[in-house]
Amino acid sequence: MKVLEVKALSFTYEDGTPALKEIDLTIEEGEKVAVIGPNGAGKSTLLHLVAGFRTPFHGSVRVMEEGLDERTADQVRRHIGLLFQDPDDQIFMPTVEEDVAFGPVNLSLDRVEDRVARALRSTSIEDLAKRKPHRLSHGMKKRVAIAGVLAMEPSLLLLDEPTAGLDPHSRSSLIELLRNMSKTMLIATHDLEAAAEIVDRVVLLNGGVAFDGGLAELMTQDAVLEKAGLEPPQISKLFKRLRGMGYEANILPVTLDQGVAEAVRFADREKGRSRDRKT
Amino acid sequence: MIVAHVRGHHTRPEELDEHARASWLGKLDPRAKIVGAVVFAVATALLTRTDLILASLLLAVSFGAMSQVPYRHLVRMYLGALPFILMASVSVFLFSGLERGFDMWARTSSCVITLLVLASGTETYELFSGLRRLKVPKLVSTLLMLTYKYILILGDELARMKTARTARGFKVGRGLFDGRGFRIISYTAGMVFVRASARADNGYEGLRARGFRTDMRQMRTSRLKARDFAFMAWFACLSSLLVILQLGASQ
Repeated sequence: MKVLEVKALSFTYEDGTPALKEIDLTIEEGEKVAVIGPNGAGKSTLLHLVAGFRTPFHGSVRVMEEGLDERTADQVRRHIGLLFQDPDDQIFMPTVEEDVAFGPVNLSLDRVEDRVARALRSTSIEDLAKRKPHRLSHGMKKRVAIAGVLAMEPSLLLLDEPTAGLDPHSRSSLIELLRNMSKTMLIATHDLEAAAEIVDRVVLLNGGVAFDGGLAELMTQDAVLEKAGLEPPQISKLFKRLRGMGYEANILPVTLDQGVAEAVRFADREKGRSRDRKT
Repeated sequence: MIVAHVRGHHTRPEELDEHARASWLGKLDPRAKIVGAVVFAVATALLTRTDLILASLLLAVSFGAMSQVPYRHLVRMYLGALPFILMASVSVFLFSGLERGFDMWARTSSCVITLLVLASGTETYELFSGLRRLKVPKLVSTLLMLTYKYILILGDELARMKTARTARGFKVGRGLFDGRGFRIISYTAGMVFVRASARADNGYEGLRARGFRTDMRQMRTSRLKARDFAFMAWFACLSSLLVILQLGASQ
C-alpha cells in the first residue's frame, strides 16, 4: 500500500525563493526513506509540505490515499507524526506523560493511557513519565518528542534531522531506536552515516530529485555527490581508498557492519592467496 | 521580568513553579484555590471600613506567611506590583484625602497579595487548567497558555543572547547615558522578539502537528477532595465575616 505519493510537487516561498521543483516520491508501507541534500535543498520544506503546513503548492500529495490541500490538511495530519528538529518546538505540556498524551487527547483517540505507556516503553523513557520535560537533556527531549509522535500511532513518521545536536551516545541510541522501529518513515537528514544505519532508500534533493535508490549505489556516483556537496560516510571513504589499492569490495559499504563483512572477506581472500603461494 | 532579563538578570520563568512544588498550596486543586482567592478578593473590594480593610490585609499577609512560598519571592513580586498600587492610591488620596488613599492602598495590597500567593502556590499550567475547568472560555485559557509558552520562549532566547553577548565581552553600563550599552540592549530586545517569533511559529506548528485546534485538553482530570472543600469553606467563612461586619456597620 502506498503510504505517501507525491507527484510533480513544486513549492515557492512567499518571497519568491523556489524551494522544491517537480518532486516525485512514493513510499510504500513499512519503507524507511531518507531525504538528503545540501542546505537549502528543501528537505525540511518537503516534510512540512507533506504534513500540510505549507500551502498552496503545485502538484499533488496523497497520504494514505487521501489528497492533501488546505481543506483536508487537518484530516491528513491524523495519519502523520512529525518530529521537529528542535524538540523544544514540540514539547508543550508540564510533564513528560502529559506531553506524550497531548496528541491522542487532542485527536480524541481511544485508550490514551495505554498509548502513552506503550510510547514511553518503546522509547525507553518510562522512568521519566512524571518529570518536567524542560529539565531533560537534549537527547532525552528528542525521545519525549518521538514518544509524543508515536502515541498518535501515525501511519507515516516524518523526522526532521533526528540526530542533530545529539552527543555520540544519544545519537547511537536514537539510531538504534529508529532502526528497530517497524514504521514507515521519511527522514530529512544531513547525517549520511545515520541514514545508512536506519533507512533502505535515499532520495537526494538538489534542485529536483537528483537520485532515488540505495545509499551504497549513491556512494559510487562521485559526480552526483560532488554536485550536491555531500560527504560519504567514513567507512565508504575507507573502502574507496582501498579500491585504489586493489581491494575491490563486492558492494561499497555504508555501515560499519557492511564494512566489517567486507574486511573479513578481504582477510579470507588474503589467507587463501598466501596459502596458494606456499603450495 | 522581560526588562530585567534584557539587562542580564534573569529568573527562568519555569523556576517560578518551584515555589508551587514547595508549598502545601501546590497539593490543592487549582479550582479550589482560584475560587477561594477570588471570593476573598471580591469581599475585600467591597470593604469601606478601615479596620476591616486592615483585617483583610492582615489575613492576606498571614495567608502568604502560611503558604510556604518564600517571603522574599512574595516581597519581590509585590514590589513589582507596588507602582501600580501606589498609582491608584495616590490618585484617590489627591481627590478624596489621606484616609481614602490609605484604604485604597491597603485594600488593593490585600487583593494583590492574595492573588500573588495563589499564583506562586500553583503551577502555571495547573492554574490555566483550573481556569478552563471553571468554565472560563477556552479561547481565554488557551491564549493564556500560549502566552505563557511564548514567555518561556522569550526567556530562552534572552538567555541565549545574554550568553552570546557576555562571551564577547559585553557588560551592562551604568545608566541611560551609556549610549553603546543602551544601543546593544535595544538590539538584543529587537533580535529576541524576531527570533522568538520564528520559534513561536515553529511551536505553533508543533501543536498543530499533534491535533491542536483551539482547546488545551488534559490527559487526566482530578476531583475535588475534602481538603479542597475545606480550603474553599475557610475562605468563604472569612470573606462572609468581613462582608457581614461591613454591612452591619453600614446599617
